[in-house]
Formats: sequence, structure tokens, C-alpha cells
Amino acid sequence: MSDLDRAIEQLRQCRPIPELQVREICFKAREILIEEANVQIVDAPVTICGDIHGQFHDLMELFRVGGDCPDTNYLFMGDFVDRGFYSLESFLLLLCLKVRYPDRITLIRGNHESRQITTVYGFYDECIRKYGSANVWRYCCDVFDYLALGALVIGAGSSVQPTRLADGEDAETKVREAEDEVEIEVIGLGGVVTRQMSRRDAGMINSTNLTPSALPHLSSSGPAGALLTGVPGTGASGNSRGVANANTPTNTGGAVLCVHGGLSPLIDSVDKIRLLDRKQEVPHDGAMCDLLWSDPEEIDGWGLSPRGAGFLFGADIVKQFNHLNNLTLIARAHQLVMEGFKEMFDSSIVTVWSAPNYCYRCGNVAAILELGEDNSNAVLRSGGEEVLFNRENTRRLASTYMGGSMKRGGPGRRYRVFEAAAQDSRGMPSKKPMPYYFL
Amino acid sequence: MAIPTRFATPSMAAPASSAEKDRTVQQTDMDALVSRCSAIQTGYLTDPYAEMFLDVATPRDRRYPLINRGTYIRTTAIDQIVESFLSRPFQGKKQIISLGAGSDTRFFRLAADESLRLLYHEFDFPQVTSRKIAAIQRHKELAAIISEFGQVGSPENTTSAPGFQVDTRAGSLRSPCYYIHPIDLRTLKPGVSLPAGIDSALPTLFISECCLIYLSPNEADDIFRWITSSFGQASESTSNGVGIVLYEPIGGDDSFGKVMIRNLSQRGIVLRTLQRYSTLERQRERMKVLGFNTGMGACDVNFIHDEWIDSKEKERIDRLELLDEREEWVLLAKHYCIAWGWVERHAASGPVDNLPFQNWSRFPLQRF
Repeated sequence: MSDLDRAIEQLRQCRPIPELQVREICFKAREILIEEANVQIVDAPVTICGDIHGQFHDLMELFRVGGDCPDTNYLFMGDFVDRGFYSLESFLLLLCLKVRYPDRITLIRGNHESRQITTVYGFYDECIRKYGSANVWRYCCDVFDYLALGALVIGAGSSVQPTRLADGEDAETKVREAEDEVEIEVIGLGGVVTRQMSRRDAGMINSTNLTPSALPHLSSSGPAGALLTGVPGTGASGNSRGVANANTPTNTGGAVLCVHGGLSPLIDSVDKIRLLDRKQEVPHDGAMCDLLWSDPEEIDGWGLSPRGAGFLFGADIVKQFNHLNNLTLIARAHQLVMEGFKEMFDSSIVTVWSAPNYCYRCGNVAAILELGEDNSNAVLRSGGEEVLFNRENTRRLASTYMGGSMKRGGPGRRYRVFEAAAQDSRGMPSKKPMPYYFL
Repeated sequence: MAIPTRFATPSMAAPASSAEKDRTVQQTDMDALVSRCSAIQTGYLTDPYAEMFLDVATPRDRRYPLINRGTYIRTTAIDQIVESFLSRPFQGKKQIISLGAGSDTRFFRLAADESLRLLYHEFDFPQVTSRKIAAIQRHKELAAIISEFGQVGSPENTTSAPGFQVDTRAGSLRSPCYYIHPIDLRTLKPGVSLPAGIDSALPTLFISECCLIYLSPNEADDIFRWITSSFGQASESTSNGVGIVLYEPIGGDDSFGKVMIRNLSQRGIVLRTLQRYSTLERQRERMKVLGFNTGMGACDVNFIHDEWIDSKEKERIDRLELLDEREEWVLLAKHYCIAWGWVERHAASGPVDNLPFQNWSRFPLQRF
């Protein structure tokens, strides 16, 4: 077992690794990240995750629900640190996985991956507490500067392979006819399929009918994922069960831009993001700042953000940006969503939130988004054997798509909803500071 | 069988003796004080006195921006209610009684205005009042404010120092205009006479900041009835009414509320009236039913932030810190409310605009 594998094992148990090893891993991570583009190209299948915020035990829950790395190809959209009690362990684990499996995990920068923000929201204090000096915080911040600003997912399929419903199980869904493709599937708590929507229904999709209503997360639904019916990472593990189906249509789901916050009035094309000099602390304003800080909002055009950084942007902005850049979807994080995910503006943008019971206080569930591969391009293998993905083929397809010659259509999306790890599994000492309330 | 601790009910918290429970409630005051000091230090509030009540041993934690903001809104909202009560053209003396006042500094902040004619009382557990009095004795500045307040133009008092008496053992303090009463609020119910120094003939405002919520619903209701029966019944010629303003959590029914109840119960803090008064509507109804029935209102803190704070001031606080907790702020702020109610009688002879609570009906109201 290599030192790196040992470090991963140790971090998986939520135990910090020695300072010298942190330095070494941060150095290696920087060497990998420096080669990455501002907008990393990622091939589907991929599982897209939102904010983690140092909630280590919930990150473990995420891996349980979504499949382990490297079996599942992951894309984390930033905000690994701050707020939770275990920013250090969470970020270092993700970083070690990045060094170990650079092609199976993509990390992009969130607004909390910043020197200024981490001194206010906890990561700095946590490093001082755990190491007695700011060295580790400094190593981590140096890595932050090299994280990509976004990612472009290509080669996503236009439908997801529907998870088989258990006998007698009735998805809260529109009646789906057998031959319909499933564009959206929601796997709720306990691995129960709560929704399957076909592309025909897509015109009716909005955030209210897409967010899993009547979430049973406060009922006695038992431990999350205990009844996992869908195979974790069926979208992203490459172990796709439906690829052998010769009748599967060959539509592509188009390209998906992933970014932590959102759009910027200074950026009208993905190429403009590529031109930014990203290797610096997050500036207080400008394009780089906006990508990490902005939020979609029900307004026309641009608005001032109440956060004090970034902008608010409306449906018209998103639709125009997607059209000009041949995107079918923008996936972003940054905002707490009680239901774990929220599609807006006719499914042109989605917020994915992956920190359940955020700050141990908010009572929300979390979600991850699986984009399956375009079935027509998958290399067919018999069951159980790992499927090698044909990158070359996908790239060619993507460039064709980016050229605008292909039919438009959103990617098939599977949302897996999960709740916070049971508190007794956290091993949280009782003297840990509890979340604040007004007393 | 393992019980899922995720949504443990308050009854599952470790059993504590009643003295321990009381101590936990008393400690909430220190928590609020540290939050107050954090908001002051960050520039949200101006209050030179809060720091003086902080023990040397208490860590001066800096709170997250949303907690600072909440502390600011809570203080500012109650300040607005109090100012409105004090600044009517009514020329007579007025009275404020703060329930579970703890280390609150409102008296000292108000006393900066020497022209104010005000009688100010604070009620709290003797353990809490003793600590407060010790701080007053430690800080000459605080003692001087108490001695001097209300002495202007009364030459017979200028030579007598100090201008207040302290009973250290009981934890009480009295001066002509400021009293600290060591009182367990649970003893207040209809029929119990008013503590010494309280003038039932004065227009009176009661304040409860996160205080009645820790009592049993019946005990809290009894205090309301005690107030309205003690003041509402005063003779028409002298009393100009009594009002109350509350600041407390609401909304225990949704997932945020359930987590709040669980988290606090793990610290031994039980929000006992939350269920009975869980909505703005129920808070208004509470006022009406328990005797504050001339007028009443209730708003959540999110609404107060949006509607009660003028835009210039909002810009100022927005600039103090980056608030990267927008959704969390709204969520948290919707789970706290300011509720108020009053009862007053039109004196047959007096002019209508002399009513001290009249301006309270001008606060922006939340409709739902």
C-alpha cells in the first residue's frame, strides 16, 4: 500500500494526516491542477456534487449513495471547506483522491476556497486547532488558487436508464409509457424511485414539480439508502446496465457547464472563461469572482447580489448563454436548497446542494446529479466487467455538437436525494460547539 | 435497538435536575451577551456597556455574520418599539419592565438621554441579578449612570452618593429610577402583588427577549394575566395602559424547526411555549386572548429586516461583512419573531393623541 493509499485510508476514518504529508500532497495536487484548463472537459458518465462544507460524515454518506471513487466518476463544484467541523479531512480526502485518480474526480473552485472567506467561516480556525499553526491552511489555500473555475461535461446521454421499480412500488410520477425515454429520474430517501419523467413531459417541468415533494426525511424512513434499489452510480460508474439495448435512441444530451456560482455580465462565452488568469486569490469583483458568487433569480437581466459579491441573473440571461454556447444545461451549487436540488428557468439551470442538514441546523436534504453516458457511444461489455469509455469518440461527438449541427435536448438526469448521516455515526464529541441560535 | 438520534425528542435529553435546568436557562444570557459583543465589535451595534458585563473568563467569540445580523435586527426592532413608546408627546413619566433581563444594557443606553423621565425595572433569577450587580459595582461608569439618571433638577439628591442601594445577598438593586429585582418569573401569577418600586399608575411596557419561551405554557400565560390584571385594572384617570413586546422563536413544525428543537434540547434548552405559539397568527391570538387586546402585531425577523430597517441602514450593515449565508439567513430569520400587544383606555377627558401605544399601530405589518 502506497503512502497515498494509506493517507486516503486514514482520512476516510476522519483522521488528519501529518503536516509534512499534507505539504507533499498539496504539492502533487498543484502539479496536476496546473495542467487543467479553467474549464475542464469531463466526459459523461459523471456524478455532479454541490457544496460539502466540511460535513465529512455526510460526504461519506454521499459516496455510499453515489458509489465510491474511482468506481464513480465525480465532479465536485466547490465549497469543500468552512462551516462544518471537518473541513480539513473533507478537503484533504478529496484532494488525495484527485492525486490518486486524477481522471476520475474533478474539483472546481467555490467561493469558500479563498483565503479571505476561510478566515471568517472556520477553515482557518480549524487548521490552527488541529495543527497548532497556519501552515496547513496555507498549503491548502495555495491549492485553491489552482482549482479550475468550471467544467464542461460532454457526451451525456439524453435519457437515463430507468431504475426498475420494486414490486408494488409506485413512483410519484406521470404515467410513463413503456417506450418513453426517461429524461429525469429522482431517487428519494431510502433509494426509492420517487419520480420518472419522460421527455414528452419536459415542457411541464418546473422547479415546483421537480423538487421531490413531501419528502419523508422527517418520518421514520430508516437509514438513508438502506433500501437502495438503484445501483449507486449507475449513471456514472460506467457500469451502465442499459448499454446493450440495441433499440436505445442515439440522441446526445448536449454539453453541460458546471460552475460553482453562476454567470457573469463580463462573460458571454465559455471561451471567455478560458482566457481568465485564474491562479490567484478570488478577487472581490470581476469575471472570476462572479463565476464563484452569482445566483440565478426570478428577474429580467442582471441584478445586484445581496451577498455583496457576484450578481443575480435571470432566465433570459441563462437561455441566451446556453443558446450561444450550445449548452443544454448549467449545473451550479452555492445556494442551499431544502430539497437538495432545484431546476429553474425551464430546466436550463439546476442548483445541486450536497450538504444535508447544512450547518447541522437547516434540516434540508441533499442531492447529487448523475449524468449518464450517451448510449450510442458506450463500449458494450458484458455485465460486471468495467466499461472503458471511448474518450476519443466522445470528444469527436462533442465537437460536432459544439458546432451546433446536432439536435438539441437536455441530458438525462438522475437525482439521488440523501439525508444527513445519523448523528451517532459522527462520533461528534458533546463538547463540540453546537450550531448557534438566538438565545 | 438503536434509537435514531437524528430526531430525538426533547424528552430523550439526559435527565437534569430542576436546578440544572434553571442554570442552563440562565446561561443562555451569557450566550446572548457574547453574540451582542460580537455584533458590537463588528460594527452592527453601538453599545459601550455590553462588554462590561462580560466575565473575564468568557471567551469573546466572534459570531458568524448571520448571527451578528440577527442580533442586530432583534436589538434594533425592540429599540424601535421602545422608542415609539417613549417618544410620544405624552409628557408624564413612563415605566419599562424587562422580564429575564439578564445582562441587557438597554437601561444604560436609554439613560444617556437625561431628559427622559423613565422608571426602569429588571426581573431575573437571583444568580443572574447578582452577577449583573457585581459588574455594576466593578465599573464606575455604570454606577455613575444609575446614580445620575433622573437626578437632574433634583438638588436635594446631588450630594447623596451613591444614588442607589444594593443588597448583595438578595441580588437586588434600587435607585429612584432603576431597579433590579431578583425574581423567579414562575412565581408571577394573577393575585401576586407588584414588587416594590413598580408604579401601576404609569404607562408601562414589558419586554421579554427569549425569556418566556423557557417557561411552561401555563406559567407564561399566567405572567400575561398577571400583567394585564395588575395594570389593566388601574383607575382610568391614572393608567394609560400597558403593553408587551416579545422576541422569541416560532415555527417548530418544519424541518428547520425540528432540528432547532433537537439541537437545543441536546444542550438542555427546551423551548416550552414554542408549540402553543408557533406561528405569527398564534402570537397575535395570544395577545388578544390574554388581555393585550387594544392592538397587537407579530412579524418574523426576516420581514423586519426587509421592512423595518431603512435602506440606508441596510446598506451600512450589508457593507460590514460578506453575508455568504443568504438562504440560511432567511431560513433562520423566519423562525424568530417580534410580537407585541397593548391595552389602553381612552381617558374620557384626555386628548386621544396622548395614548402612549398609539404609534405602535404604525409599524409595517406582516400579512401572513
